[in-house]
Amino acid sequence: MKGFWWKIAGVLLFLYVLIGGMIIPIKSGITSVTPNNAKSGEQLTFNVVGYNTNFLSATKVRAWLKLDSIHAISATEIEKISENDAKFAFSIPSNFPTKEAVQPLTLIVDTDIDGVFVQPNAIFVTLSDSAVISSEAWMSSAIGQFSEVKGIKFPYRNILNETIRNTFFHIALWFAMFILLIAGVYHAVRFLNTGDMVHDIKSAAFNKIGIMYGVFGLITGSIWAKFTWDTFWTSDVKLNMTAIAMLIYLAYLVLRGSSSDHDRRAKLSASYSIFAFVALIPLVFIIPRMTDSLHPGNGGNPALGGDDLDNTLRLFFYPSIIALALLGTWMSQLLIRYEKLKEKILLKNQ
Amino acid sequence: MKKFLSLTFISLCGILPLMAQGNSLDFLRSTGKIYSVVTVIAVIFIGITILLYRLDRKLTKLENQIKNEQ
Repeated sequence: MKGFWWKIAGVLLFLYVLIGGMIIPIKSGITSVTPNNAKSGEQLTFNVVGYNTNFLSATKVRAWLKLDSIHAISATEIEKISENDAKFAFSIPSNFPTKEAVQPLTLIVDTDIDGVFVQPNAIFVTLSDSAVISSEAWMSSAIGQFSEVKGIKFPYRNILNETIRNTFFHIALWFAMFILLIAGVYHAVRFLNTGDMVHDIKSAAFNKIGIMYGVFGLITGSIWAKFTWDTFWTSDVKLNMTAIAMLIYLAYLVLRGSSSDHDRRAKLSASYSIFAFVALIPLVFIIPRMTDSLHPGNGGNPALGGDDLDNTLRLFFYPSIIALALLGTWMSQLLIRYEKLKEKILLKNQ
Repeated sequence: MKKFLSLTFISLCGILPLMAQGNSLDFLRSTGKIYSVVTVIAVIFIGITILLYRLDRKLTKLENQIKNEQ
């Protein structure tokens, strides 16, 4: 049992992430609003399709169209069709407080069960030529007293939908990979300092599992991209640079397999793994941040903050990193034990 | 090992064109794209299984080596 607790901890943490990460529901959101355009002064009914909403069960449903922080109109009539479908009628004022030809309006819905949820730029209103600048018919700062969301729920993001749960697997895999590769580079340095073959074995094992996690990260990212960007691979900087970093690391495996002389192999692979790790940092962290990127967390595209990683997601994201790092260490440990045994037999035979 | 790898490759060759078709992806996209998460977890699981399988084979080889020496 001694020395086994962290393996159990890793398994239990990953189980917690799997179960909790899959059963906690996503907050309510709006998937579509039809029609999505209108003319000023029109009386219109919009068909709203919600996701995870409870329009029928909710006793109080309110809806607004918001122009800016102080101008909004509230729905004149609300018709509930089903839990996820409702009709909202709005009379769009003929006069707007600003004179722009096309004005985007944000739909805000508040129910006593699901709390408040919004669809930005839900409706585009084209102003007629006779419209004058006036904020009459627009109520000022009347939106308020929103209902609270009950219980723990993950944020709803358009396009992402349920795939936001991939945060616990795809992103955590990369973080865990970094922990393993840092362990690999640490043992590589220790080997070069001491010349102790144990450090060579450890460095190789941590690097191997780290590379495996990196390959998992690329595959899972590719699957996620298929569902959100509708393509397995794009020529995005983040994707290409990460692929290059992984290729550099794959060359490490080739290098280790190429030499049968143990001392030479150990020295070469230790120095190469330091080079590969140093190359990984600019390729993954710096270059993608210097240009525009589709991938969150790069080039002015924020991630790990706001609704992409709120406190409910953090509840599973951080344990997932720890769990994957612990499981990775376990797998590395098995490789280390195997290699040590192999060396022992080799020495005995000589 | 070679047999296993070629088997995985062949099964992947069978699955990928299926996935590329609109219909099966529509199924994977249903209920808020939840099946993408299932696919991701499956990939991690299959990967770890392959690692375990390879380690198993390597250990068997080592065991046989010890057995032959005795």
